[in-house]
Amino acid sequence: MFSQFFGSYLLRKEVITSEQLAEAIAKVNESHIKLGTLAIHSGYMIATEVDEVCYLQTREDKRFGEIAVERGYLTEEQVSELLQKQTPYYLLLGQCLVDIGAIDNTELQNYIIDYESENELIDMDLSYESTDKIKQMIERFFMVAELEVSDYSVMYLELLFNNLVRFIGDDFTPLTPFPCSEYPTNYCVSQKLSGQVNCESRIDMPKEVAVEFASRFINEDFDEFDDYVQASIEDFMNLHNGLFIVNMSNSYSIELSLEPPAVDAHDVLEFNDSTFILPIIYPFGTIHLLVSLGDK
Amino acid sequence: MGFTKKVLVCDDSIMARKQLKDNISQCGIEIEFIEGNNGQEAVDLYNEHKPDMVFLDIVMPEKDGATAAKEILESDPNAIVIMASSIGTQQQLKNAIEAGAKDFIQKPLDLEQVKKVVLAHLGGE
Repeated sequence: MFSQFFGSYLLRKEVITSEQLAEAIAKVNESHIKLGTLAIHSGYMIATEVDEVCYLQTREDKRFGEIAVERGYLTEEQVSELLQKQTPYYLLLGQCLVDIGAIDNTELQNYIIDYESENELIDMDLSYESTDKIKQMIERFFMVAELEVSDYSVMYLELLFNNLVRFIGDDFTPLTPFPCSEYPTNYCVSQKLSGQVNCESRIDMPKEVAVEFASRFINEDFDEFDDYVQASIEDFMNLHNGLFIVNMSNSYSIELSLEPPAVDAHDVLEFNDSTFILPIIYPFGTIHLLVSLGDK
Repeated sequence: MGFTKKVLVCDDSIMARKQLKDNISQCGIEIEFIEGNNGQEAVDLYNEHKPDMVFLDIVMPEKDGATAAKEILESDPNAIVIMASSIGTQQQLKNAIEAGAKDFIQKPLDLEQVKKVVLAHLGGE
């Protein structure tokens, strides 16, 4: 139900006027039928089939899903799966507010973070799947890798995936994590979290990948690996780990504090047993996350 | 538009400093920026330049922002210290506010929030 309160949150923050909200809500309803796009995206239907169903909708008063099922293009199960996948309402609403010029994308991003954080909804959505599903997926990851599963690691990765979706893009594929004793670095940023739980986090990527990663994160076109790119990677880690601290406090009443992120200048890193590596592939290259997380 | 104001921006991230300076520059006030990248530099630069306003990141090397805020305010209780708080640093933010920091902005930055804070403390029409 939290989605429905996003509009009133923005009003309360005096970000938008009630007229703009009304206009955006009207647009949300207009842009509601996106099942066809989702079906194409999932590979269940091809564009011509979607066009055909849309055409048929002008002839009979039926929903897209109903017609698609009648025509044998989708099964009932696929329709419910796609409906579940649909963009959360508040994101659609936010997008419509951007479309009408009430806010820009950066503001939307910031208000969503603030809204979720204010409502303790930080670990809510990953590609609009249920969080239980994501947790199971991450746990399976660890089992496949024969790594010890800890609730903290699962939470860490769940949040990381959320943050990648939010700040970098959802076009990534995480590979199975694996234990690591030695790692040759590229451009590596590390950040320690101290407190009741030990956590050392590192993100590593080749310089050219860092340029793309930073460009997406900051929404600027960087063309060389400069100080701004380097700082952007540190800022990403800082933001991610900061959110993790909030989650740890909310979920486990464990208080941690952040040390400043720093560039790890070692050519080769050596670790103990508890460190794992998670490779994440983006179209522009692969990033590696190295995490050591455990009770003191 | 009035006299040039001096603003000290202290953050260990050059990107964060750039973003903050870009935001502050949009407030319609003529600003001369001074930059530092750790808490100790913040204290030293404050004493040297006596800026009209100070923005301090909380998580910084050598000396964190909350400690730097406390030291600046001890030497000049009228200092206008604004904390730039990342998510996850609520306790340090609370300490800084208790030590006398006048306000805070949340990172990632929101232009309107930055404008509001700058105009509230530096004036301007």
